[in-house]
Amino acid sequence: MIEFKLNGKLVRFEGNPLTRLIDVIREDLDLTGTKEGCGEGECGACSVLRNGKLVTSCIIPVGAVAGDEIITIEGLRDTPQGQCIIDAFAEGGAVQCGFCIPGMVMAAQALLLVNSDPDEDEVRAAISGNICRCTGYDLIVDSILLAAKKGKGLW
Amino acid sequence: MVEKCYIPSSLEEALKIRRETGARPLAGGSDLMVQYKQGIGITPAFPFPVMIISKLEELRGIRQKDDGSVEIMALATPDEISQCPFMPWHVKNAASRMGAIALRNTATIGGNIGNASPKGDLPQPLILLDAEIVLRNCDEERIMPLDEFILGSKKTALRDDEIIYKIIIPPVSYSYAYYRKIGTRKANAISKLSLSSLITIEEGVITDFRAASGAAGPKVIRSRESENILKGKRIDEVQDVLPSFLDSWNDAISPHAMPQYRRNTTRRMLEHFILTAAGMPENQIIE
Repeated sequence: MIEFKLNGKLVRFEGNPLTRLIDVIREDLDLTGTKEGCGEGECGACSVLRNGKLVTSCIIPVGAVAGDEIITIEGLRDTPQGQCIIDAFAEGGAVQCGFCIPGMVMAAQALLLVNSDPDEDEVRAAISGNICRCTGYDLIVDSILLAAKKGKGLW
Repeated sequence: MVEKCYIPSSLEEALKIRRETGARPLAGGSDLMVQYKQGIGITPAFPFPVMIISKLEELRGIRQKDDGSVEIMALATPDEISQCPFMPWHVKNAASRMGAIALRNTATIGGNIGNASPKGDLPQPLILLDAEIVLRNCDEERIMPLDEFILGSKKTALRDDEIIYKIIIPPVSYSYAYYRKIGTRKANAISKLSLSSLITIEEGVITDFRAASGAAGPKVIRSRESENILKGKRIDEVQDVLPSFLDSWNDAISPHAMPQYRRNTTRRMLEHFILTAAGMPENQIIE
């Protein structure tokens, strides 16, 4: 049996340890905010935080996160930091089709956790593993900068 | 058929499982989980038994020894390597350009070496720096040059009962350093071609010269024979011997796809580095 924390709650998983983390999140725990794009760790749609660091949940077997603390978009949403990023995305018009947005928000959070006052280049580097096929990168970058500005003191 | 998956809780247990079942170690998962993926909602199917070693503390960490050598344990991630203050420059640079952020938090040096892709980013600078690899089984440790451990594309000298334990980079010094990864994008780029090199010049004489070509053959190419053409030469002789060195390096690499592009580009990078170094003040990174 594999035990780990997800959004602050203890999760016990008794299936195949090679089950992809994203499948446990979406299928077993019904948390469908985390999206699957490429399934190869290249597009960032399935990004979650593992012990505060950004990872793609489609290439990680659940057996590899035993004892870890995983945060998904649902867990982040209910925090002041998460709410600040989400509000900034809405205010900045960052969202077009929306599919990449949960991953983008997680990448923004991973950045702000280590750098609460990033410049534009740092924001672009932080989302460099997240693909937006609507190609709305500029508004996403602006919104992350807006979140950093509005959320001063939160990180 | 679904093969067994083990999760050992100590290195000792992992080595025992390895000997008894031949289970292949899965460290980060970023290569194996993709190679054997089945699709959305379906667990990857491995045609061999697997053991997940991600949590083995004995395989974590990066240390600097008293003699100046650097030991990188098998589970060190590219993120850890790129942030390590005493990491040799070439390796740090290569690690910081692997994949994108999430990949750099997931992949491991042991996996990057064990996968032995000709386009793998870490073996190239490690082989430049004469790194050694330490392998372990239940009974003993085996140490060998990384250049000899990687046999070819996807082939290593790892025995069925061994796992990759750590990498040792000997102390390194140089007057000039060069690293270049050529990929399609800044992030998430698979190397089309890569090159690292270093030169030491003492009193106008080249006392050390090394180069390593990545993605230019079935494995990282280092040609000591070619390197020796430059060693011992005075800076004012460089112009004269450069063509024979470049021809010799060209013979050493064996790119199978777009060979002309890879050969020309390798030639131009080496020429640029060597000529720039020959005309510059010391201790420079040349880009």
